[in-house]
Amino acid sequence: MFIESPQTLFFLEALIFASVIFINIAKKNSFAVFLYMAQSFVVAFLLFNSSLKESSFTLMLVALSVFAVKVIVAPYFFRNLINKHQLKFSVSTYLNGPMTLVILAMLTAFTFSSFFQPLSILSQENFNALLLALSTMLISVFVIINRKGALSQMIGILSLENAIVSFAFLSGLEQNAGPQLGIVFDILVWVIIATVFASMIYKQFGSLDVSMMKNLKEE
Amino acid sequence: MYIFLILAIPFVASGLSLLIRKKTSLLNFIAIIASALELIFAILIVLAVLKSGSYSWGHDFSVDYLGSIVLLTLAATGFPIALYSVGYLKAEMAKGIIDFKKIKQYFILFHLFILAMFFAITTTSSILMWIGIEATTLSTAFLIGFYNKPSAMEAAWKYLIINSLGLLFAFFGTLLFLYPALNGGHTELITWSNLLASGPNLDPFIAKMAFIFVLIGYGTKVGFVPMHTWRPDAYSKTPVPVVALFSGSLLNVAFLAILRFKLVIDSAVGKDFSQDLLVFFGLISIVVAAFSIFAQKNYKRLLAYSSIEHAGIMALGFGFGGVGAFAALLHMVYHALAKSMLFLAAGNIFLKYSSTKMKNVRGVMSTLPVTGAIFILGFLAVTGVPPFGIFVTELSILSAGIGSHPIVTMAALLGIGLVFIGFLRHVIAMMFGEADSEITAGEGSVWLVAPIVLLAVALLISGFVFPGAIKFLISSATLVY
Repeated sequence: MFIESPQTLFFLEALIFASVIFINIAKKNSFAVFLYMAQSFVVAFLLFNSSLKESSFTLMLVALSVFAVKVIVAPYFFRNLINKHQLKFSVSTYLNGPMTLVILAMLTAFTFSSFFQPLSILSQENFNALLLALSTMLISVFVIINRKGALSQMIGILSLENAIVSFAFLSGLEQNAGPQLGIVFDILVWVIIATVFASMIYKQFGSLDVSMMKNLKEE
Repeated sequence: MYIFLILAIPFVASGLSLLIRKKTSLLNFIAIIASALELIFAILIVLAVLKSGSYSWGHDFSVDYLGSIVLLTLAATGFPIALYSVGYLKAEMAKGIIDFKKIKQYFILFHLFILAMFFAITTTSSILMWIGIEATTLSTAFLIGFYNKPSAMEAAWKYLIINSLGLLFAFFGTLLFLYPALNGGHTELITWSNLLASGPNLDPFIAKMAFIFVLIGYGTKVGFVPMHTWRPDAYSKTPVPVVALFSGSLLNVAFLAILRFKLVIDSAVGKDFSQDLLVFFGLISIVVAAFSIFAQKNYKRLLAYSSIEHAGIMALGFGFGGVGAFAALLHMVYHALAKSMLFLAAGNIFLKYSSTKMKNVRGVMSTLPVTGAIFILGFLAVTGVPPFGIFVTELSILSAGIGSHPIVTMAALLGIGLVFIGFLRHVIAMMFGEADSEITAGEGSVWLVAPIVLLAVALLISGFVFPGAIKFLISSATLVY
């Protein structure tokens, strides 16, 4: 009944990885939000599966909180932001499409290099999935650096957090439920604050393109 | 119980501030009483730590020697900063810059910020400490964007994104540190003691990787170069009392996190790895800050770069170890006092001149004689001129490093010298000369002068007579470094 086989876990991690790849090349903001939602759904599913396996009510509470915050609340806020300011497209990146793909390939190759072999001590059976989670982390950081839209940067931060959670799950580094709930609460507050800020930025600059923000350079 | 109270007071103060309608005096009263009580309970906690080595509340909260120094520094600077906030916000309200709603927002977030820092210091769990430090980002983001101007929004966004990214790195590093403790069968909250005990079982590669992530993550909050870029922008846009807390307290709290993890990595791979990294980040922070100070045009950014320089000096001290570590912790205390005082004095200059650009500020000594004198005092203190304590701590840190790292020490000395020259150039230009005819002479209210005088007296006295009890705490805290 529970998903335990390394192949299935690798497949689920590959879904998370694929979502962040597509976030990098998505042209529409709404598609990037959908990808984040799908990615979060897989993370929530992994936690839910774990709670069933452990027969832990508190862990189930964490999984449900993750689902509520990341799959429902955060995308809801982002969609509101898109609709309110008609932010349909978000094509601005510092690097063009082919160069972006080259960087993504290099980051993935780096994580699968012999450099990270010692990480196998964390989980021998899920080692490949673990490396994929590490790739997802690096590629999420690249989203934040490469994309000019404030919304994309927010999705990049949250995607990085998802990648870390999946890494922790695969390597058995989950803490008990109390701190995990605290972290989910932090994420919820972060989403609200970041969305409010993004809205205020739009009011001040008429755009969510962070490369338009040049007021501090004058000083 | 004292720990519970020191956490409950800012929480209750924030809640009460939320409920108040129209009465600014009540908000001020709550802020003053809360910060005074926090100082009293911090002193009581320190006394308890002096008596028995540590002071705990349940399993999840405890203060040790190192924690007590950071706690006391936060409470001791928090009190004058709260007093100053009253005068500063009143002056800004009189100028029509802010209204009651803004003052209310300020105090709600101010208390939450203090609460998050107390929580991070007192928790026994590395994960809860992370949550506390992340909460400082969330509680202060709106304080950076307080004035709703495009530049303030930009600074706040930069702060939010850079710090969130940094803290996620710290989170990842923290998780990696947990694996031997989790493998050892710990099912409850993993404490710092658990982490230390399981340190020798850490795989060296993973331990090094974890520490690099932790250092980059919390180093972003400390403001080490090259993760410092948010700091000058945020400092130049945030209300001055909050900046004083950033520089005097938040820096120390984030440094505390690094120091706690340093002990764990040292137990896994020896001291060299963490010390080399701290020396590296320390030196580049000093050098980059020194050149940036020289070229500054804005005095709040100037002070921000000075904080980066001092974070570098502290990192060097802990990197050198031994006497250097003792001096670095002492430096942390002196820096908190001196920099809080300087920022508050800078607040008075801003209120008088309505500009943070140095070219618009001339003749401070004639328009604000007390503030000007204290600003000069602060400048001498932070640049390490005798007889101030920072002179002794910088000298001790450099002496500790000259044998093992002669080139680094010489480069740091040159950097510190350059900071003095750059700072002196700006201070002379601002303090003397002819003030604009539109600027009327005269200090602001007692709320704006008394806190900086209080900090100046504390700084001067501590340069000559440092309480034996604090010295004991510092030496006990740094024995293991």
